[in-house]
Amino acid sequence: MPRKNTATQDKGAGRLRQPAEIQYREQLQALASVDDTDRPENWRLSPASVLTYILGGEKITTTVKGKKKTVEITRKFYGDRSIVERAIVTLASDRALLLVGEPGTGKSWLSEHLAAAISGDSTLTIQGTAGTTEEHLKYSWNVARVIAEGPTADNLIPAPTMIAMQQGRLLRFEESTRCVPDVQDALVSVLSDKAIAIPELPDANMVWAKPGFNIIATANSRDQGVNELSAALKRRFNYIHIPVVADAKTEVQIVKQRATELLQRYALPTKVPPPVIELITTVFREIREGKSKEGVSLKQPSTTLSTAEAIGVTIESALRASYFGGDTVAGEDIARNIVGSIVKEDLNDLAALKEYAKLIAQKRAANNKVWNSFYQGVQQVIRQ
Amino acid sequence: MTALPWDAQAVRQAADTVLAEALYWFPVRHHSPAAARHLAAAIERRKPKVIFIEAPADAQALLPYIVDKKTRPPIAVYSSYRDDDNTLGLAGIASPAAEIPPRFSSWYPMTTYSPEYVALKTAARLGLEVVLMDLPHHALIEPANAAAGQAAEDTTTLNRYPEDQLYQRLAQEAGFRDWDEAWDSLFEFGEYSADLSRFRKELATFCAAARLGSDPARLAADGTLARERFMWRTITNTLKTRKIEAAEAMVVCGGFHLFLDRQDPQPPPGLPAGSTFNAVMPYSFFQISALSGYGAGNRAPRFYQVVWELGANPDPDEWLSRHVVDIIKQARREGEQVSSADAISIAQHARMLASLRGRAHAILDDIEDAVFSCCCKGDPAAEGRYLQRAIDQVNIGKKLGKVTPDAPRLPLVEDFFHQLSVLGLQDTVEQESRITVKLDKRQDTQRHQSVFLHRLRYLQIPFCRLVEGSTDKLASGTLFKEVWHIKWSPEVEPALIENNLYGDTLEAAVFSRLKDRLAGVSKLAGPTCRQLRQAVDMELPAMVEKLELACEQAIAQDERYVSLSTALHELQMLQRHAIYQHQAHEVIDKLIESAFDRACFALPNSANAPEEEQQEVIDALRIVSEALLGTEQLDQALFIHQVQHAAAISEIPFLQGALLGMLAELRVISIEESSQALAGFAQQPAERQLAAGDFLDGMLATCRTSIMLGADHLVNAMQVLLRAVDEESFLIMLPRMRIAFKRLHAAQLDSIAGLVAGYLGLEESKQLTRLETSVKAAALFAQIDKKVAAIMQEWEL
Ligand SMILES: Nc1ncnc2c1ncn2[C@@H]1O[C@H](COP(=O)(O)OP(=O)(O)O)[C@@H](O)[C@H]1O
Ligand SMILES: [Mg+2]
Repeated sequence: MPRKNTATQDKGAGRLRQPAEIQYREQLQALASVDDTDRPENWRLSPASVLTYILGGEKITTTVKGKKKTVEITRKFYGDRSIVERAIVTLASDRALLLVGEPGTGKSWLSEHLAAAISGDSTLTIQGTAGTTEEHLKYSWNVARVIAEGPTADNLIPAPTMIAMQQGRLLRFEESTRCVPDVQDALVSVLSDKAIAIPELPDANMVWAKPGFNIIATANSRDQGVNELSAALKRRFNYIHIPVVADAKTEVQIVKQRATELLQRYALPTKVPPPVIELITTVFREIREGKSKEGVSLKQPSTTLSTAEAIGVTIESALRASYFGGDTVAGEDIARNIVGSIVKEDLNDLAALKEYAKLIAQKRAANNKVWNSFYQGVQQVIRQ
Repeated sequence: MTALPWDAQAVRQAADTVLAEALYWFPVRHHSPAAARHLAAAIERRKPKVIFIEAPADAQALLPYIVDKKTRPPIAVYSSYRDDDNTLGLAGIASPAAEIPPRFSSWYPMTTYSPEYVALKTAARLGLEVVLMDLPHHALIEPANAAAGQAAEDTTTLNRYPEDQLYQRLAQEAGFRDWDEAWDSLFEFGEYSADLSRFRKELATFCAAARLGSDPARLAADGTLARERFMWRTITNTLKTRKIEAAEAMVVCGGFHLFLDRQDPQPPPGLPAGSTFNAVMPYSFFQISALSGYGAGNRAPRFYQVVWELGANPDPDEWLSRHVVDIIKQARREGEQVSSADAISIAQHARMLASLRGRAHAILDDIEDAVFSCCCKGDPAAEGRYLQRAIDQVNIGKKLGKVTPDAPRLPLVEDFFHQLSVLGLQDTVEQESRITVKLDKRQDTQRHQSVFLHRLRYLQIPFCRLVEGSTDKLASGTLFKEVWHIKWSPEVEPALIENNLYGDTLEAAVFSRLKDRLAGVSKLAGPTCRQLRQAVDMELPAMVEKLELACEQAIAQDERYVSLSTALHELQMLQRHAIYQHQAHEVIDKLIESAFDRACFALPNSANAPEEEQQEVIDALRIVSEALLGTEQLDQALFIHQVQHAAAISEIPFLQGALLGMLAELRVISIEESSQALAGFAQQPAERQLAAGDFLDGMLATCRTSIMLGADHLVNAMQVLLRAVDEESFLIMLPRMRIAFKRLHAAQLDSIAGLVAGYLGLEESKQLTRLETSVKAAALFAQIDKKVAAIMQEWEL
């Protein structure tokens, strides 16, 4: 599903979702072909080209299979330029990077693109959960063969950290603060020693990190754990705070671009007209901020309404419309998905939406077709 | 907004043309060490006969004091203007009232590394002539007809550097965050910084782009054209009259003015009539910093000072690591957990950021970002608060300037020092430590000192603080006593200078300030009477008369009980002073009478005051009742009647209690009667019973001495009440009752002490009975309070 876009989760045959380094291969290759400045060892691109890859806005002329071609570098991440600069510089330094912020602010997204641009591989990923163990982090054994042959280097199954160290690549560590302290401690030793010891092996029992190895972790500032990172770990990370997109225009732009890309990828014929995207973004924004453009104050639901959720609703509305044979998204499609996304667990959140429909949507419905169809849709869904 | 001219050729050509002129133009930026360094070198090399500098022409006479050895920047040239005859028609628009002349002032700050200051010093050393060529600021004040209708814009601090906005836009177009970043990366530390002629050329080109992209109508409106006419006229006239060749002269100005219109036929504006004052004053790095809101602010005065002191071509790593270490130290002082290891990471991070941003060296922007990357473990706006503060402090610093004592002082400053020596207070100047001064105003010298200090206090000069003012406690004999703390600080003189426009002497200045304020404040009796007392404290007889009239009117109009009783209190203080000093006090007597009457009539308006005002109402009740003591002048019957009336209409138990308590205190009703009212709550429905605590609290707030006489009744009433209420209501009432008893404790202490000390005139037997009763009462209350406390403890409250 589009809203869960971590690379590890959708590996496998017929995957819908390609990792960034494959999906944006053309852009990455174009950048590499003209990039002749210094770069840290084992980096695929120079820091300046990584920055261009993330922020976009350049056209590069290059030769692909003998033919001249102009490749446009699209914007991947919307936000302060200095945030991206600081992230890149951190990865080239001896500190690791922690992207921290509210859910849905594009932390995983930025992390994936940084890994793709710097290491050409965004799939060396660990998903942090309460169940994550040191084995997920470092290595495990092929138990059957260990019983037969004893522990040998061949019987060892390296975990993403070890692979990243061996290849001098970036390790992505998602939702890092959800891990238990033991796993965090293991990370401290990886970061300080730049090596993993394998005590079970008689000799050659150290794996050393090659230059280029570093970690991009993400953490949700709503998770309680985030403040509980051990002091030792905190010191080894540069925190970069990713704020919620500040202005409405940029948010519309993000939703528009991401939705278009995703619809193309699923080869959906459905069109999401710009006014619909604006409507979805506006609804999310106003309810999130607890205030409408006109200054009417609104109830706030318990769920977070991130940009990511707005993208999700847009895509799901499109999927739903195409499933039912429509070729443009209708008000009811949006209404249904917005209700689903706002009212998740707490039924009180339905009240927030009802209030919004009554106070805001109904007024706008009077002289706006899109809002009218949305308002009718909400009424219908709520009645059911 | 006009489009920016990206016709690079036209821009280059404009710059080249000016730079090729015989007259040598040197573009500068305020407070830039790089500009200062190159400018000094250019002056050394060319040794021009005359240097024109973009600084207000009316400061010309101050030049010797600016370059004086004993003067140490940061300093500012202060220029002020008072439109005495309302030539500009702004009286009442830019001043509080039509009869008050509008005043304007401006500051022209300089640091050790300001190009203008460095030019002045270099010229002085080489014996070169300097002419200040900028239009005095008051010539730019818009007269009334132009500003008609709309409120005058903030004309008191004119924006002298409108071109900064254009630079800002250009910088952003070029991909910089702001003009500060662009300046530092290109001119201060970047590729244009090393070589003099490259610096001059590139800066001129940059400014040419801003100039060609500017809107002529705006330049006319913001005064740029007027100033340039004056500058150009000054240059050409000076050269002509002195018979100096253009090639022998040099012009130092903001790069924007390199492109002024040499053919402009219009004459510069004349100077409006009025009084002007100019002075060199000590200034501070904070005042120069952008954080203080000053237009051409410098974002990091201390940082650039460090850079300046490192001399020509300093090693960038030197100031980078110095600056980072300073920030780390300050952040630790702010309580942040940062280490020297962080300092190394920050420096590394800053260098890498700089290189990613295409700079050879890290500048402030990189350093600041690096500090946040490496040390802020969360949201910069939340977790980064203290880091930001540390950065600001290190950037700005605390440096204060000094001005040579030889510099002429403004009249008001002169008067201040004169008074200090006349009053024997000259030793306080330049003292590091705080001095405590105790004054008895019955002695002439000390009274004069008090007047002087009161005047300074009124003008908010940071020199003295009134620690203990005179009180109305006649018994303790403090009516004429004051205690002051005096401490000299470098801010005293600037504060005085800013008041200079209000008058040449302290007396004149406080007089016009009081007048301004009188025109401005709403006509409330309380504040107006307080001003009257201030006028008396400051010995302003002429103002006293005016204020007496104002008080009379305010009292007649005011309907607020609290404000009227404040007025009454202030007036009584004045009356007592007058009586003891054997001065006439008929006017005050009359005012007191009318304030008292008006307060009595206003009292019922407050009988149902909202909760947040209730305490004020009770304080006011006591003020008015105390006013009655020892005077036949006031109509006690009126007060009693109004209190009764208020008690009858009050629906708020707290105020009811207070009003009945007051009646008991005035012996209109007995304690028995008011206690019965308390006991009456026992018969009320349960939810009304709860208010008994409020009632008791109010009663004990006003009934202070008489309660001692009828303590038994109160104790009985309490018992009736406690028996009647159920456990739950009692629980709710308890906290409030304890508050009430706390009041009583305080009151008892007062009054028992008062009894002993104050009734020496009474017969011994009478005194003893009173003393006995109150001791007995005190014991009874203590008993009840203990019981209540025990119950509270038992129920774990
Ligand atoms: N500032 C942003 N720039 C670009 N895309 C964004 C931004 N914020 C959110 N998104 C989009 O939201 C979606 C989810 O973001 P994600 O990285 O999973 O959020 P997080 O990890 O912060 O919870 C992604 O598809 C991403 O494209
Ligand atoms: Mg995520």
